Amino acid sequence: MTPDVMSAAALVDRRRGWRIERRADPSAVGWLVALLLAALGAFILSGLLLATAGASPLDAFSNLAKGGFGSGRALANTAVKATPLIFTGLATALAFRARLWNIGAEGQVFAGAIAAYACTHALDAAPALLQMPLILVAAMIGGALFGGLAGVLKTHFKVDEVISTVMLNYIIAFGLSMLLLKGPWSEAGGFFEQTAKVAVNAELPILIDKTRLHLGFVIALVTAGLMQVVLAHTPFGYEVRAAGSNLRALAFQGTNTTRLVLLVMATSGALAALAGVSEVYGVHHRLHAAAIVGYGYTGIVIAILGRLQPLGVVAAAILFGGLVNGSTLMQIKTGVPSTLIYAIQAIILICYLVAWAAASFRIRRPGRTTPSGEIGRAGHG
Amino acid sequence: MTDATPLLSVQSLTKSFGSLVAVDGVSFDILPGEVHCLLGENGAGKSTLSSCLYGLYRPDAGVIRMDGEPIELRSPADALAAGIGMVHQHFVLVPTFTVLENIMVGTSRGWRLGGGEARTQVAKICSRHGIALDLDRLIGDLAVGEQQWVEIVKALYLDVRLLILDEPTAALTPDESARLFRMIRTMAASGLAVVLISHKMKEVLQSDRVTVLRKGGLIGTVRTDETSGPDLTAMMIGRHVGSHAAVAESKPGDVTLSLDAVTLDDRDGRRLLDRISFDLHGGEILGIAGVAGNGQNALFEVIAGIRRAFAGDIRLAGQSICHLSAKNIADRGLGHVPNDRLRDGLVGEFSIAENLILGHQWDAQYRHGPLLDRAGIDVRAEQAIADYAIQAPGPATTVRTLSGGNAQKVILAREFAKARRCLLCHQPTRGLDVGVIEYVHNELRRLRREGVAILLASEELDELFTLADRIAVIFDGKILGIFPRSVADIQTIGQLMAGHRDA
Repeated sequence: MTPDVMSAAALVDRRRGWRIERRADPSAVGWLVALLLAALGAFILSGLLLATAGASPLDAFSNLAKGGFGSGRALANTAVKATPLIFTGLATALAFRARLWNIGAEGQVFAGAIAAYACTHALDAAPALLQMPLILVAAMIGGALFGGLAGVLKTHFKVDEVISTVMLNYIIAFGLSMLLLKGPWSEAGGFFEQTAKVAVNAELPILIDKTRLHLGFVIALVTAGLMQVVLAHTPFGYEVRAAGSNLRALAFQGTNTTRLVLLVMATSGALAALAGVSEVYGVHHRLHAAAIVGYGYTGIVIAILGRLQPLGVVAAAILFGGLVNGSTLMQIKTGVPSTLIYAIQAIILICYLVAWAAASFRIRRPGRTTPSGEIGRAGHG
Repeated sequence: MTDATPLLSVQSLTKSFGSLVAVDGVSFDILPGEVHCLLGENGAGKSTLSSCLYGLYRPDAGVIRMDGEPIELRSPADALAAGIGMVHQHFVLVPTFTVLENIMVGTSRGWRLGGGEARTQVAKICSRHGIALDLDRLIGDLAVGEQQWVEIVKALYLDVRLLILDEPTAALTPDESARLFRMIRTMAASGLAVVLISHKMKEVLQSDRVTVLRKGGLIGTVRTDETSGPDLTAMMIGRHVGSHAAVAESKPGDVTLSLDAVTLDDRDGRRLLDRISFDLHGGEILGIAGVAGNGQNALFEVIAGIRRAFAGDIRLAGQSICHLSAKNIADRGLGHVPNDRLRDGLVGEFSIAENLILGHQWDAQYRHGPLLDRAGIDVRAEQAIADYAIQAPGPATTVRTLSGGNAQKVILAREFAKARRCLLCHQPTRGLDVGVIEYVHNELRRLRREGVAILLASEELDELFTLADRIAVIFDGKILGIFPRSVADIQTIGQLMAGHRDA
């Protein structure tokens, strides 16, 4: 008898004999079937939602797909939408892999954007070759410090990182507002809460003409690949994975776990900060809250959908980017408001989580001696 | 066998999990008023069998009869209704409830707790069985031994006629164990049948009959007065274990590990270790006897560098290690086998290979530049799997899926390699099969021969008396005495373990 089997009887409903058990080893086939059912469920539920919004679901879906993935240009713009989500998804996935519940990617995006802007708005006409690395490094330092702050609060003051990161998200959003609203950075003579446009030399170069696809997407893909290698093949990745399973055992072997926690929080913040760079210097070309808000929180969803794997994060980010990108065409052709796409994203997440639960647990009904999936020996009685 | 009608009769009971047949066609009877022991190694099927009797698992095949009538046990509620109760190895008590509340919880006799009727009834049960319990104390304030009584009274309150005790002495002192067995005898005399799950031979021999299981199958049921410990062990593991060879007199070398007035408080200012001093020589095993929770964890963690002592000095091979990190201390030749292997010693989701380098992931020998040297790490793991006879498909096997014995061997492989000078072993054989225990003991003897200084804490006094050259007793963070094994006797040590200094 294995320990898994022993713990299987943990949840017992005494009255009816129904039981929910964690599967000792969820099978790959079961997982695939659950995932397909989840996709089907997401389609049906989203379809109902679109129907209530007054559109033909099939019509809406086809326009959504066409707008998101239907042409080279659509794909390029989907990649643009996916870029910040890849960064925040990777940031969240790294922290979650180490069981650090960093909800602060949102604030770390802000910190990165602010730090980068602080460094570059002084050097207007410096050549791009100088500006580009400076922007990236400054943003990553800003994000790392802001993520590291939550780390220090955890390691030295025992403040739960969920609380501290959420609070820091608010603080930095207000901080940016202060800088922009009648602050030192507000656009001269401008009415909106935003900076002036950044120097052309500071913009991330466009990769394909007539699209908005910029260098940030390539940086995102390289970062994801790098993170895959770091997690699987380096001592740091080893420590992250060990911390995710049993931090205590790692500490017992003399690894400095305080330093590890700080390092993971800082690295996570640095990754999130790159989303700020991609939006400010790749898309909007100026710093304002609307350019960077929301990516941190969506990054949590992306990380979960991507199963905390870097390549999974890329896939999930491209899916969500495509949905957002395609929603414009859907609105034009069918009149369904494009913001409905966020409800559809939520439906996808919920269906996914249900599928995960369904594949990891099973329910046993009373009155059945041999549950399905187990080899019965009832015939020998 | 007597002619009495069996209280409970199990016929050809089979239970499998997937392809694993945990219990395979087992049949046995339990008579009224009998103490019946289920004996077997870990994984022999004892727990599955008793879980079937308590309605936690539903057998795939076979019949369970109570008083000759077939019964179907769909849940623990059915089992209790049929008069079968069970006390689990890990207690299921609510620490913030009183004793009485815990006994009454879930019994659904009226919904107001603390009713006078229940109180008198519980008091009656206690006095009949000679159990002294203050019904209004909180469970959290009770000693582990007392919590055991509460669990038993809880079962008796439900009028059970058959009580299953799963390793009931795992956390008890020798005195408490003796008291428990006196109590089991009184209960049996009043007609209650007791099923005892154990692999401690001394306890097994106090039962009336023993049913031996091995790898899910029934080996046989024997009367205790017609058998012997070695015979039962042979039945249990399928071969004879070499009896404890007389411990070869060791020739202790120089002082390897030296503690001088080591003191440690926890965060709330409670004293965990109180001026602990001893010298441990190379080639010597110093046993630490004590009931769990008397400072053993703190002592081992302070020496290994996981916690910092507040006062005092610790020297390894003459040099103070008080201010070194755990990693630095390990690098100076100290291995540490922690008490709770899955919590403290292993990363469950990691492979055997990865666990073997835990803490050494930055060492140059395991790296190629910035990357881990996977191939080299795997080669090392294959060597360890061969050297320590770890039963696993290969280095990539996740340790979570290993049995307790094999998981422990992974830790031994890692820590023995580090223990060039000194080895700390905290309960190295807890929960292991007899065969593996013998193996661990031989390995410890081998290290001692090689001149390693070994600090061995165990709750099994037998283990200390078999292995240790000297035995120290720890109680409430203090060392109450250190005895050479030749002059130590179990009574004195048992008394000291309970804190009776003037024994």
